[in-house]
Amino acid sequence: MPVTVLIVDVRSERSAALEQALLSAGFEVALRVDEREDLHALVELHQPDAVIIDADLPSRDTLEHLGQLGRRYPKPMIMLASEDAPDLVREAAGAGVSAYVVDHVMPAMVRTMVEVAITSFEAHRALKGELNRTQTTLVQRRSVDRAKALVMESRGLGEDAAYQYLRKTAMNRRLALHELADEMLKATRRTEGGCSGAGSSAGSGRH
Amino acid sequence: MLSDAPLNDHQLTLGLMPLNDAAPFVVAEQLGFFQEEGLSVTLKWQPSWAALRDDLQTGVLQGAQMLALMPLTSTLGLDGRATPVISAMTLNLGGNAITLSRALMTRLAEEGHVLDSSLGIACALGEHVRQRRQRGEAPLRLASVHPFSSHRYLLRYWLAAGGIDPDSQVDMRAVAPPLMAAQLASGILDGFCVGEPWNSLASAQGMGQVVAGSHDIWRFGQEKVLGVREDWAQQHPLAHQALIRSLLRACAWLDRPGNRQQAASWLHDEGLPEVPLSVIAHGLEDVDVEQSVEDYQQANAGWTIFHRYAANFPWRSHTRWYVSQMQRWGHLHGISEHDIAATLTRCVRPDLYRIAARSLGLVVPAVDERSEGNHPAPGG
Repeated sequence: MPVTVLIVDVRSERSAALEQALLSAGFEVALRVDEREDLHALVELHQPDAVIIDADLPSRDTLEHLGQLGRRYPKPMIMLASEDAPDLVREAAGAGVSAYVVDHVMPAMVRTMVEVAITSFEAHRALKGELNRTQTTLVQRRSVDRAKALVMESRGLGEDAAYQYLRKTAMNRRLALHELADEMLKATRRTEGGCSGAGSSAGSGRH
Repeated sequence: MLSDAPLNDHQLTLGLMPLNDAAPFVVAEQLGFFQEEGLSVTLKWQPSWAALRDDLQTGVLQGAQMLALMPLTSTLGLDGRATPVISAMTLNLGGNAITLSRALMTRLAEEGHVLDSSLGIACALGEHVRQRRQRGEAPLRLASVHPFSSHRYLLRYWLAAGGIDPDSQVDMRAVAPPLMAAQLASGILDGFCVGEPWNSLASAQGMGQVVAGSHDIWRFGQEKVLGVREDWAQQHPLAHQALIRSLLRACAWLDRPGNRQQAASWLHDEGLPEVPLSVIAHGLEDVDVEQSVEDYQQANAGWTIFHRYAANFPWRSHTRWYVSQMQRWGHLHGISEHDIAATLTRCVRPDLYRIAARSLGLVVPAVDERSEGNHPAPGG
């Protein structure tokens, strides 16, 4: 199945060149649109596989919103950064969901650009979905449980009181509960080699 | 902790949006407050909230005018890529309004509805939406700005007050502020919630009618904040304090009688050249001492407060109100109550505000929270 791309640009010369390059690289171009059109409705109608947009266009907020709805979206987005912003391009490359490329797109690079964007987006989404939902929560829950056991033992507290103690300490130190737990466990490992005991004072620090 | 050593031309690039409530940045620049505090500031106008957020997260910007929820959603990893962002200052209270297209208002009137208050219009709209569905007409298209915006939640609150389910009964989308009035004019939108001057512009062009303001929905509610990356604030505590002080002085200046017209003129020249000065000035007008607040609010729905009523204090309870709205609509699904509370404490920093405000001799609240939103229903 051909990969469909939507181009959002107000510079018709550039977007025409981009469309040509995409077509000759074997992509299907759903549409070239500018700021006067109903982008929200057009994206829902055409459901492109990727969107290429000038990073300086206000319409980005419309695409972000579609991304948050999470029905047929998010989709890979490729930003054309029109100014000399090598830092931005490099930094944003690691972001996964949206990729920035510099303005002057060589026809020869178009295929790679779109494919890389789609591949890294899919990888990022898969990773994010799975890791977030299962692994991360499991690991976090486990470390919180272990930190709680540590506090119960070192402070002679019951389970609820130990949990409250962790909660309060995390709040005071502006940490998520699992971040505090990780810190405490790491500190224990450093000082005690994995034993419970004096860990809580080493882990909780000043508060 | 902080020394009094003066900063010397500390270079900063700050991001802002083409909105009236960007005024504190423009005023601080024009009146030399940044310079007096030892900062050498470049202001960068942004085309979209998404672009502003990316620039702050990637370090192109050191600080920015931000939507109140952005520090929290950026830190939680919901908005862009996970980057801890903090706010130690609120820039303004109010400043948004909901505008419906002239055509839609005409239809509501033809259907025999009484359109004399913001709540009355919400209820009329609710009735209209139900009739539309029965007749098989397409749902109304309504816009707010960025996904994690006060506008989105004010609009949803107002729609719900009129008995409308924003998720199933209307077509909601996001449109950046500068495109709103044009899309209303071309019929792509039936209504929107946006900051000034874009409501006043739609009114002035005869395209729309303002039906509710921020204060009709949440009186003296928080609007924009000063956002900076957490790691930047840790590495540059003095520059952060200088930045807060500069903007505090600008906000105080904006609330002194007689200064708003000058501010409107600077905004027009610096960031809003396409909007007539009279339109910007109208949206930026402050309450007249002769007027009651209620009369005033009716005349100017986008009324913006920059400094009075402890406006700049970053109440944790303010951000908490937005959190409650996100939870109401399921937009914080899967994030534990504890993580939300801890992140909120981490992102909203009244402690840092107090240092800056006290150094200017301002009185500051001693507590971080207060009761929010316990006023009558919108329009009541």
